[in-house]
Amino acid sequence: MKKVKKSTQDYPILGRWISWVDKPGSNQKIFYILIILCIASFGLEWTYEKHAYFEIENYKGFYAIYGFIVFSILIFIATLLRKIIKVREDFYLEKSIESEVYPEDQIQRIDHNA
Amino acid sequence: MLDLLHQIPTAFLFFCAAFVVMVLPQGNARNIVLLGTPIIAAIQVWTLGMGEFYTIPLFGFNLELMRLDSLSRIFVLIFCLAAFLGNLFAWHIKDTIQQVSALAYAGSAIGAALSGDLIALFFYWEGTAIASVFLIWARRTEGSYWTGMRYLVIQIASGVILIAGVSLYYYDTGSIAFERMELGSVATWLIFLSFGIKCAFPLLHNWLQDSYPAATITGTVILSAFTTKLAVYALARGFAGTEILIYIGTIMALFPIFFAEIENDLRRVLAYSLNNQLGFMVVGVGIGTELALNGTASHAFAHILYKALLFMSVGAVMYRTGTSKASELGGLYKTMPKTAIFCLVGAASISAFPLFSGFITKSLTLSAVAHEHYMYIWLALVFASAGVLSHSGIKIPFFTFFAHDSGKRPKEAPLHMLLAMGLTAFLCIFIGVFPNFLYSILPYDVNYEPYTMEHIAGQLQLLLFALLAFAIIYRRGLHPPEIRAVNLDTDVIYRKFMPSVFMYVSFIVSRSFSSIHKLSKLMFINFISRLNHTHGPDSSRAASWPAGAMVISIAALLGLALFVIFFS
Repeated sequence: MKKVKKSTQDYPILGRWISWVDKPGSNQKIFYILIILCIASFGLEWTYEKHAYFEIENYKGFYAIYGFIVFSILIFIATLLRKIIKVREDFYLEKSIESEVYPEDQIQRIDHNA
Repeated sequence: MLDLLHQIPTAFLFFCAAFVVMVLPQGNARNIVLLGTPIIAAIQVWTLGMGEFYTIPLFGFNLELMRLDSLSRIFVLIFCLAAFLGNLFAWHIKDTIQQVSALAYAGSAIGAALSGDLIALFFYWEGTAIASVFLIWARRTEGSYWTGMRYLVIQIASGVILIAGVSLYYYDTGSIAFERMELGSVATWLIFLSFGIKCAFPLLHNWLQDSYPAATITGTVILSAFTTKLAVYALARGFAGTEILIYIGTIMALFPIFFAEIENDLRRVLAYSLNNQLGFMVVGVGIGTELALNGTASHAFAHILYKALLFMSVGAVMYRTGTSKASELGGLYKTMPKTAIFCLVGAASISAFPLFSGFITKSLTLSAVAHEHYMYIWLALVFASAGVLSHSGIKIPFFTFFAHDSGKRPKEAPLHMLLAMGLTAFLCIFIGVFPNFLYSILPYDVNYEPYTMEHIAGQLQLLLFALLAFAIIYRRGLHPPEIRAVNLDTDVIYRKFMPSVFMYVSFIVSRSFSSIHKLSKLMFINFISRLNHTHGPDSSRAASWPAGAMVISIAALLGLALFVIFFS
């Protein structure tokens, strides 16, 4: 616990606050909060009357189920797509910016301690 | 003072300012002109009222340079706002080329949006192409030079197709007025195609993802605002209610989300995301009802802001770390927390969380689609909304500022960048919380309440459960990892496939030509030498045929002729 504090103490104050997300166990907590929020949003279904344009919207939790499924499909297809279209970074060689570094004279690298 | 201001077309204000910037020395005076011009332009447009204000004759045509109506006004206002925010973000830039081209580019886009006829539109259309390419070249690397060339060729091609269409349109109808057109003739199809190129229709889209990440850090912020939204405006003006746009827009909203998911360069992710957002706007134009066009215009307005905000936050990271590749970043919230928060505001806005700007604008388009009973289109757009959350809502902030720690500890972005991001973030939230502000400047009267329990609950369910899916997939290690790689898109056709076909064909042609040449040369030399051998001065024939033989044979021939004439 102390170790985390020590390594974060020279961050800006906002950074130190947000660094809660990196603490051991926070990951799990965030996941549970998300599940609670999901259940809560599902529960909202019973608080209003639907004026749906389509029959399909009338099913309880339509948006929840649809969102969950299409997101998973999206990741699945994208993973497959990568297998087909992925090439090396220098594929286009000097005619693209991929294998270049950004010109140093146009940026200002400063370490936060500096 | 205002009267004097009203005498000048808005675009010319920007062009004059571009000249002034060229003359002024680098420093605060120049920056004040860069920031002041969009403000003055916005005041001018706001106070001018509706109507047509400036006509100039050109070769027997009357060019309408200032057509202000409710549709053009909202686009001009957001263009001014985008120019202001982009220039504020670029306060540190000491590069005259970028400063001048930013003003000329904004001026051209505004001029095009205010054009009442197709010829003036063409001039400004090409103006945006020429002015904007310098924002890419200003990076001054070989890669950006070639990318800029590709960009310029495609943009200029769009203009050439436009003027071809306009000429045919004039030939067909005798009018150059920029009004609603019907697809059907070659002329209108050409104009449609020209708009489609700039709007990044599917298969015509790749210039966008190719060029925007190649521009300078500040250049991309400025580029992201104008060209494509100008095309959306042109479609809304010229082709509202054209059904094919509904299907084009749906494909546009869908296909980039897959590419964005696996792209490593975060600025290219945002370019794909931009393409996807344009899809929603194009669907709105295709539906063409008042509600749908309000959806398109408001979405364009909100989108320019949150997209600029996302480009700014990734740009600020790039300014401090030199890279925008997800594989090289992560954990930056520790020392760039403000940029991280602004990025999250942009991410929430584009994902359309309630109380953020995307929520009150995207729902207009979705409702318009549902209202016209296009169920599959509607389902596809809801899918695309989840996709937006995936790449812009999660991927951009998560892999830049959180996820695995890259070990980089850069200083927070400079003050002017924070100001630009802060102001944009404020506007994103302000529009989301007070939708009536934006609704009041839309092309048509708005009779729509975004904050009903039904909307809020539906949207929250969609987003939260999609987030849950992400959390589960990520925790299980199934999310595609961020790796250094390039993904092929349609640009492989003109960047690799066509050049290699061309090289191959030219190799075959040149080889066969040189072989034929060699062969014929050989045959010719052979023929001459054989002729020389038989008929040359040293040949056997020359030896046996004395020179006198020719004289004798001619004399005999003449004798024969005389003989024939004498007896005939």
